[in-house]
Amino acid sequence: MNVVAREAAHARATPRSDRYLDVAAVTKRFGAATVLKDLDISVARSEFISLLGPSGCGKTTLLRLIAGLMKPDGGRIAIGGNDLTQVPAHKRNIGVVFQNYALFPHLSVEQNVAFGLEAQRTLKAEIGGRVQNALALVRMQAFAERRISALSGGQQQRVAVARALVVKPSLLLLDEPFSALDRKLRETMQIELRHLLRDLEITSIFVTHDQDEALVMSDRIAVMNEGRIEQLGTPDEVYSSPASLHVLEFVGQSTRIGGTASASGQGGDVGIETPIGQIRASMRRNSGPTGKVVVGIRPECIALGERPGADFNEITAELADIVFFGSKTALHFKPPAMEDRIQVEVARLPSGVAPGAALKLHWPIAETMVYPTP
Amino acid sequence: MTTIGMETQVTAPPRRRLLQLDAPAIMVLPGLVFMVVAFAIPVLILVADSFRDASGLSLAGYRKVLGDPYYIGIIWNSLQLGLITTIGSLLIGYPAAFALSRAPARLQVLLFALIFLPLTVSIIVKTFGLAIMMRRDGILNWLLLNLGFIERPMRLVFTEFALYFGMINVFLPLMILPIYSVMRQLDPRLTDAAASLGAGPVTTFLRVTLPLTMPGVVAGISLVFSISVAAYVTPGLLIGDRFMTMSQVMAKAYLNIRDFNLGASMAVVMLVVAVTIVFTSTYFAEPASRRGRKG
Ligand SMILES: Nc1ncnc2c1ncn2[C@@H]1O[C@H](COP(=O)(O)OP(=O)(O)OP(=O)(O)O)[C@@H](O)[C@H]1O
Ligand SMILES: [Mg+2]
Repeated sequence: MNVVAREAAHARATPRSDRYLDVAAVTKRFGAATVLKDLDISVARSEFISLLGPSGCGKTTLLRLIAGLMKPDGGRIAIGGNDLTQVPAHKRNIGVVFQNYALFPHLSVEQNVAFGLEAQRTLKAEIGGRVQNALALVRMQAFAERRISALSGGQQQRVAVARALVVKPSLLLLDEPFSALDRKLRETMQIELRHLLRDLEITSIFVTHDQDEALVMSDRIAVMNEGRIEQLGTPDEVYSSPASLHVLEFVGQSTRIGGTASASGQGGDVGIETPIGQIRASMRRNSGPTGKVVVGIRPECIALGERPGADFNEITAELADIVFFGSKTALHFKPPAMEDRIQVEVARLPSGVAPGAALKLHWPIAETMVYPTP
Repeated sequence: MTTIGMETQVTAPPRRRLLQLDAPAIMVLPGLVFMVVAFAIPVLILVADSFRDASGLSLAGYRKVLGDPYYIGIIWNSLQLGLITTIGSLLIGYPAAFALSRAPARLQVLLFALIFLPLTVSIIVKTFGLAIMMRRDGILNWLLLNLGFIERPMRLVFTEFALYFGMINVFLPLMILPIYSVMRQLDPRLTDAAASLGAGPVTTFLRVTLPLTMPGVVAGISLVFSISVAAYVTPGLLIGDRFMTMSQVMAKAYLNIRDFNLGASMAVVMLVVAVTIVFTSTYFAEPASRRGRKG
């Protein structure tokens, strides 16, 4: 996973200005329900983008629109400057890996992979070699003759990827390709797929509702909610600077505290009155909301002990639970005035700390996020 | 039954086998008993009858049925009746089943009822209705006249047109139902996958939809052919003696001239023809139907 993270960081450092896939103001309605609302998204050439969002927010619908398996009610979809909005799916050359793979049950592994080449009337002499190459990419050569029903979930997933890649698609869409796999296999496949797609320089859109998967694999993440894209940014941006309360809640862990913001306090800060006392937030980070707000803090930003300086918030709270994760330990605090718990992550549990103890906590005001109450 | 018995034998001592019949063996029993009493025994009697007449063992019936051009013509008529009805029902029924399986859920219930309803009406009632409709002053002639296709009323009843029109009308539901039940289990994402791989509608149909719905097609063909080849009421009412079929010969042999040997021989020939056609069609579709099954 480290390798992937480093490579992803490298990819992010190279600026990309080209808009390879351009989805502009796309709207999709099912009867009275508007599932996608004026949605825009641009993807650069050979970029790997994750669509992350809760169930029913329209991820699959967006993929189907891009693939041409459905017509939008408004808007435009273009690849490399060519408007594809009216082009039928079979003329778009967009590869799709479906949620349950949708492999053809009446064909062998080899025949599944050859299907696209045959449909596109590739020369017979060429087909055999290309099928073998595609199977080699996903390390499935040994299974060429197998029937689909005689494959494991992970193997089916590989065949689905090979089948989509063999036709050299101009864009690859993957709809939760790992959702049927167990965690261990999933993590292996994430890394494998990411390497494969980077080597082939295939532009990809990857749907998932697993935030860890999105953080690990993506060049950029598009966080969706109720048919809109709420934030499009690098994993780091999305995690560290969530654009909305929904993004904060959906990506990663966080503590959220309701309060009332008053106009800026001392030194360009904003003060928020909360049930656990006043919390200060930096104005540089937040646009200075007033009235009812929600304060958000990431668990790893909170540390135990007295605050080291004036740029920190400090509270005292009673420790309710200790949850051991191996590489880290989560501490849950339950202030009497608050309904939710305050989540804190530490690398090592200090000695002598036990549930019931009242402890001091502090975190930088620069890491304090404020969102208007929805 | 045999396989079940053999498997049990491996695991349990033979003495306790009868008491240890497992669930599938018990469940098949009522059907088996019924089929032996209602089908196997009558067929055996029929076969026996076909080889003997009043004077003892005889092949006279078969000699007549398979040697006399008149009877060969009748066998050919029945085959033609079965084939044309089957092909006609398939050509109309397959697209109908496809449309039905892709229709919105609520419409599907309605359409399904419309297809199913005719099956609840007696064939005699339905066929009489058709005969009335096709009379010289019937609604079909009226329609053709008013649309300008014909200048004076046509003779429709007692023509082959009437026969096949009626036969397809009667047997269409039996073709649609099995195809529909397979078609609605077809994952629509398979056709989406084909499209995303560059296959146009025709390629997708020929390489994905058709092979995967073959089991339904085979079931429909077997059902419609084996019943229509033996049809008695509909041909009798819509075309009559002008188009003699095996069923009519059998009925005449048993009811009018009381030549059981002739009737039984004809019945055995019909059985062999129907079984042959059904098994051949199943055999040719077997690779597709086996692979078409899910899982
Ligand atoms: N064919 C359809 N007819 C009517 N409504 C639909 C149809 N397809 C999707 N919807 C609705 O559109 C919304 C978005 O569906 P979509 O499948 O895009 O969600 P999703 O983000 O992919 O969810 P999940 O993570 O559960 O796969 C849902 O509310 C769904 O009920
Ligand atoms: Mg989905």
